[in-house]
Amino acid sequence: MNQMFRLSMRQLAGQRRIAIIALLAALPILIAVLVSIFANDDDSFNENFINSLLAGMLISGILPIVTMALATTAFANELDDKTLSYLVLKPIRRSFIVLPKLLATIAIAGPLLVISGVVATILGLETARATLAVGIALAVGVITYASIFTWAGLISTRALGFALVYVFVWEGLITSFFQNIQYLSVRGYTMSIMYGLDKTGFESISSQVINLYAGIVGAAAVTVVFFLLTVRRLSRMDIP
Amino acid sequence: MTQEQHTQPGTNQSTIEVNNVSKWFGSVVAVNDISLQIRPGITGLLGPNGAGKTTLLHMIAGLSAPSEGTVTVLGEPVRDNPQLYHRIGVMSEHESVYGFYTGRQFVEFSARLYGITDVAQAVDKAIGSVALTDAQWRPLGTYSRGMRQRMRLAATMVHDPEVLLLDEPLNGTDPRQRIEFHQLIRQLADEGRTILISSHILEEVETLADRILLVVSGKLAASGNFRAIREKLDERPYRVRIVVSDLRAMAAGLMKMDTVDSVSVDPDGSLIVLTHDVGALQRSVPKVTKDLGLRLLRVDPLDDSLESVFSYVVEG
Repeated sequence: MNQMFRLSMRQLAGQRRIAIIALLAALPILIAVLVSIFANDDDSFNENFINSLLAGMLISGILPIVTMALATTAFANELDDKTLSYLVLKPIRRSFIVLPKLLATIAIAGPLLVISGVVATILGLETARATLAVGIALAVGVITYASIFTWAGLISTRALGFALVYVFVWEGLITSFFQNIQYLSVRGYTMSIMYGLDKTGFESISSQVINLYAGIVGAAAVTVVFFLLTVRRLSRMDIP
Repeated sequence: MTQEQHTQPGTNQSTIEVNNVSKWFGSVVAVNDISLQIRPGITGLLGPNGAGKTTLLHMIAGLSAPSEGTVTVLGEPVRDNPQLYHRIGVMSEHESVYGFYTGRQFVEFSARLYGITDVAQAVDKAIGSVALTDAQWRPLGTYSRGMRQRMRLAATMVHDPEVLLLDEPLNGTDPRQRIEFHQLIRQLADEGRTILISSHILEEVETLADRILLVVSGKLAASGNFRAIREKLDERPYRVRIVVSDLRAMAAGLMKMDTVDSVSVDPDGSLIVLTHDVGALQRSVPKVTKDLGLRLLRVDPLDDSLESVFSYVVEG
């Protein structure tokens, strides 16, 4: 599995791709720095702004986009260039092909996004509890999205299009209007974990979240289900 | 349904069994009810482009599932049975590789995934056998097409498999590399392996495989001993186009020859000659032309394409 993980890291960590997602991940930090420099001394303004920055920009936009850019290509590139047969023609269980690809996406997107959220939180909220909450929530979000988008990359050559529609229509629009759909939303799970771990720090998003444990169970269930779907798909599909 | 067995003296057990296998993609039938058994030795899977060779090979390799029928390799179902790849090596027709790996890294990667314990020794042996020891440290992206094919072959057989499935392995190789490849494959077969090689080039398989499977339009058109099939191919009449300064006089001259079956005048101003002995015709045409005082402008064989050979076998 180690071989497969190192190969996946090498395939995913192309310089241009890493540069673009690093820039995206750096945006919240840049904005938080500017706000902390130019904002007035009103702490509540800073808190509200950072809450909006984390929930609105990082969790709803940058987190799924960065994870999508990596995870959808984990298998799609190998299907395109026909190198997937090198992996499936080896005496390796399909789950040990899927898992390293998933872990490689998480290993690249996770640190970038967690650092982005943690630094923005330190600049705005300045509490260890809030920082920890953001770090854990973003890590969970990356893992969950990575599982969904890795599957999408294997089932369709148009995975990126599917993923964009999913992120902006389902996660962005529909779950914003219907509270109960938060139970079926990775954005909802991520924000619920963040809020659940620090209710004081993230008071302003309390109306958009579900129960902390529902968020944890939902994220875990989605991750496992899509991981298994990916393994199943890889076992049953015709490999070019 | 066609059922054939391919045997080699001293071996009784078939290693590959294809039973009533069909594969279709939507309304397109790529492989149509093929049954065959393959035993140790070299078997050539021959057919024109688009005949269904790769689809059949993919099903034997476990890369795709038959729509109907079953495939077993070494007595086990190959599909969804990854452990069987300890005993099988598959080289697909796609020539893409991980360009960032050196040749040696590529073979090492393969060896590790096969779970080989002494990776260095296995890799040295595999790379040595394809004569690429000197080039092994260069990135694959800098290899010629022929070198890349040979390094892919090294990665395919690094685990010393009992069954080798090779899809168009000689693509891009030069004549010297082909001779070396033939020697290597013959040696591997002599050690008791089952080797199935697909190709769309008749001569490529002719000099390598003792037995062939002819696949045309998704069906097994002919199979068995290569010489018998070759003789059948040699019996077919060839068509040759001849352009001379006087068509009528040349036609009369040709009709006197025993080797010529018929002569017709084509509307484009040439003669279409049908012969069973194209060699004799080629030797006689200049002499006939000279004797008749004509000027020979052009001689073109019309039946050299593999497709025409296969059509003859299928229809004949």
